[in-house]
Amino acid sequence: MTAVVPMNDVPMNDGPMNPLPITGLDPHARRGGHAHLPRPRPRPREFGLLAIVTATLLLGSASLAATRAFGGTIAPGLDRGLLADGPALLGYLASLFAAHILLILSGRRTDQVLLPTIGLLGGVSLLLMERLPQTLAGGLGLGRTQLVWLALSILAIAVIGTIVRSDAWLRMYKYTWAAIGVGLLLITFVFGHDVNGQRLTLGIGPVSGQPSELIKILLVVFLAGYLSENRALLIEESTKIGPIRLPPIPYLAPMIAMWAIALAIVVIQKDLGAALLFFAVFLLLLYVATARASFVVLGLIAFLVGGAVLYAFLPHVQVRVDIWLDPFATASGSGYQIVQALHAFARGGLLGTGLGAGLPMIGGALPIPALHTDFPFAALGEEMGLVGILGILGLYLVVIERGLRIAASAADDFRAILAAGLSLIIGVQAFIIAAGNLKLIPLTGITLPFISYGGSSLLASGLIVGLLIALSDRTAELPAVTGSAQRSLRRRQNRGSA
Amino acid sequence: MNALGSARGGTARGGAPRVGAPRVGAPRVGVRHPGVGATLGRVALTLAIAFGGLAAGAGYWQVIRSDDLASSPDDAAVIAAGRDVARGEITDRDGVRLAWSLLDPNGEPYRKYVSSSISGVIGYASRAFGSAGLERAYEAELTGVTAADPVQDLVKKFRAAATDPQSIRTTLVAQLQEAAVRALGNDRGAVVMLDPRTGEVIVLASTPVFDASAVANPDTSLAAFAVLQSDPDKPLLPRATQGRYVPGSVFKIVTAIAGLGSGAITAATTFPQQPAAEKNGLLVSGYRVRDGHHPATGSTALDLVGATEVSCNIYYALVGLETGGDALASWAGQLGFGEPIPFDLQTAASQVTDGGGSFGGGFSDAVELANASYGQAETVVTPLQMALVAGTIANRGVLMRPHLVQAFMGRSGIVSVDPQVWRQVLAPDLADDIAAAMRQAVEGRLGRQFTTGARVAGMAVAGKSGTAELGGTGEPNSWFIGFAPAEDPRIAIAVVVEQGGRGAERAAPIGGKLLALWKTWAGL
Repeated sequence: MTAVVPMNDVPMNDGPMNPLPITGLDPHARRGGHAHLPRPRPRPREFGLLAIVTATLLLGSASLAATRAFGGTIAPGLDRGLLADGPALLGYLASLFAAHILLILSGRRTDQVLLPTIGLLGGVSLLLMERLPQTLAGGLGLGRTQLVWLALSILAIAVIGTIVRSDAWLRMYKYTWAAIGVGLLLITFVFGHDVNGQRLTLGIGPVSGQPSELIKILLVVFLAGYLSENRALLIEESTKIGPIRLPPIPYLAPMIAMWAIALAIVVIQKDLGAALLFFAVFLLLLYVATARASFVVLGLIAFLVGGAVLYAFLPHVQVRVDIWLDPFATASGSGYQIVQALHAFARGGLLGTGLGAGLPMIGGALPIPALHTDFPFAALGEEMGLVGILGILGLYLVVIERGLRIAASAADDFRAILAAGLSLIIGVQAFIIAAGNLKLIPLTGITLPFISYGGSSLLASGLIVGLLIALSDRTAELPAVTGSAQRSLRRRQNRGSA
Repeated sequence: MNALGSARGGTARGGAPRVGAPRVGAPRVGVRHPGVGATLGRVALTLAIAFGGLAAGAGYWQVIRSDDLASSPDDAAVIAAGRDVARGEITDRDGVRLAWSLLDPNGEPYRKYVSSSISGVIGYASRAFGSAGLERAYEAELTGVTAADPVQDLVKKFRAAATDPQSIRTTLVAQLQEAAVRALGNDRGAVVMLDPRTGEVIVLASTPVFDASAVANPDTSLAAFAVLQSDPDKPLLPRATQGRYVPGSVFKIVTAIAGLGSGAITAATTFPQQPAAEKNGLLVSGYRVRDGHHPATGSTALDLVGATEVSCNIYYALVGLETGGDALASWAGQLGFGEPIPFDLQTAASQVTDGGGSFGGGFSDAVELANASYGQAETVVTPLQMALVAGTIANRGVLMRPHLVQAFMGRSGIVSVDPQVWRQVLAPDLADDIAAAMRQAVEGRLGRQFTTGARVAGMAVAGKSGTAELGGTGEPNSWFIGFAPAEDPRIAIAVVVEQGGRGAERAAPIGGKLLALWKTWAGL
């Protein structure tokens, strides 16, 4: 039995027969988990997959240790041994199994594939960060810092997958979440500090982070709320301009405004990757909710026009596109990083150089300075070869597949669109940065989920997967219809009968 | 893709009417809207295609472009290895060391070269300035980043020592290379000698030479390189492969190949208007192509042999017009014109015209075609290209792919480079017709006044000299191309001396001298 109940067990889209579900009104039913401890439910598939993940990562670590033992370089502060930085890996595995146990104790029937899949991606990340120069991150060093964030991320998955039993707090306050998102962007723009020419980082005392990682989730929450509520209208109604049938513009306005504000500020922040991600997820969700290809076509036209305008007026966009068109023309200048990344892929070839045997250092420096944040995909391509790259891509596809499956069997539209949006964030983000590394699209500086170095990204990704696991529990009740939803329902019914 | 299957499964169900089951927010009771399952399937398909694109992209860089990029001298692993690894030796074909590695007081390797005569072909490898020439072309092999054997390359990750620096045995003959540089003396120019039967390059000389050891030695590197860069004679330009020269009359061999090959002429073809045109000029589209009269030939209309012997411009202009621009350009293309010649070293492309014209083959009009047919107009060639033209005739119409390396020798074994036919250009009997004409040009009674110097005692030589007018008042470029022994060719040669005067005066004697030395070396 899988964690996700096969769809033929429960009809899909089997929403409540009554728009006012009775169970949703009972606060004790919703917080059932808090009233008494649930009975633990074993998760055999998750355990089996985690065992495979453990074996794989131990093997990888041993391979890295072997490379070091036979004349390779060794990062300062690490010992030669049977495993490369064994304690770190064991700590990581411990966090995975702790998450597993927590999910067992939750007693919920939730997805059992996501945690091991994420576990393997994170483990690969840990192995990569351990073999890079540890000085790339201060304090604990690159590998250990990444370990801490990875463990927190895994823990976040388990905790959210355990305690989030109602989505009312998300769906009822969609405009609030949207406002928080926009507010975060504004605060970052005003008070944030610049890193590499981009104003993405916000610091409060000793804690700093990249709010755009959280904003993308808030955007999806807002879209899920708005689209599920207005879905029927968006499908049915049209704005007619002469003979041309256009989507109902009044109902799109709040979304477009939300999107435009986000996009404008993101462009001002020069964070093209996040802009691309927001836009792609926005379009895909619009399509998911309405099945209207015209939205996608209009969106793509808007994208092309916007892209052309940005290219014409923004020098940093021009540079990105020019580098993309012919990085070899500026191989020692602006095209340096991407050319080095392509060389890294080429060095890897079919089978790779082996963990720890790639990434030649010239004068004590990595060929690609931003390797740990922007180019881990290229690094994995070198050390694990095409075979490894296909494996990594496969893992992301598994995440997408699980996410969309959760969406397809969700109890109602809000959950379906939310689950789809969350899995699309992971999938589209992985695509954008991997495609940038491979010179399929212009390179943008966003992270490879669960692999790139960075706390904000790892926590946000953990939050996403945690929510997906929570959403996969189909025994969770739907919340009551909210006041505003009731009002709009009444409004439409009145108009419909008029 | 499970997601697809499951989502499609949802399509049918989701698309089914759900009368009486409105959603939260649904406008009217009883209105049918398909569930999101249908669209989820298409979104899943979109993402699957996108990830398929990623896999294809990775495959492109990691399989198709892998060798090309990973063994490039710009590759980080190759550069890193170049700093730490003692590069393999480079020898000539008889094992004479041309380049080897020494260790500086810090234990870091640097390069030493046998003489400056090889600077134009071997180049240099310097910690500060990168590398050039053969050192650059085989950076990955010399530093051992890639094994010569592709199977070894694939499994090298399982070996303890990652690098396998290989030695390279070239096809060069050090003593002939040295002699070629000496023969060019203080002039700027180039000599290419190759075996027409195999494409093995015996000599690849370019003057002025430079002291590659000084560039490679960390103590003298900075100063030496600065001097070379500011030298107006451009010693860093490898003229044999990248120098582009107006060919003058040596190009007539290309015109002959095109004329005979396309069937426009035979060896016996004559042009009745040719003798008169030598006096008055040949009227082509209202423009007179002029040539000095050849007194010894009187008023005879010349055939291929006669016209080649006295290097008659009018005859070759007529051949070119008869052949047509398209055919001339395409036969030249067969010989390697129009694109960089595939070779161990970087090469420049030769051209019959600068192109863009509408007359055919890129020529702008009949006048340009007529002038190009005897090697003027916009025609420019590299010395290597002209050596290949001579080699094609010598090898009875078969053009061998030129190469500079006999073998790579590393821990993983020895990989030999075999001769390869590049193109079958011309029928053997037609090549023989041109060979006979070239032999007459050197050995004939009248030809002697043009190419006397190319003659070698005890060995028949076939060849063609060239005097390439550069416009203005400067001395013309002096050319010679040829091969020997004429009856059983084993060596082809191209010599160019920049502003060396008439071909007969400068290039042909150098050719003769080097062919004589080659004869001794070959033991003939």
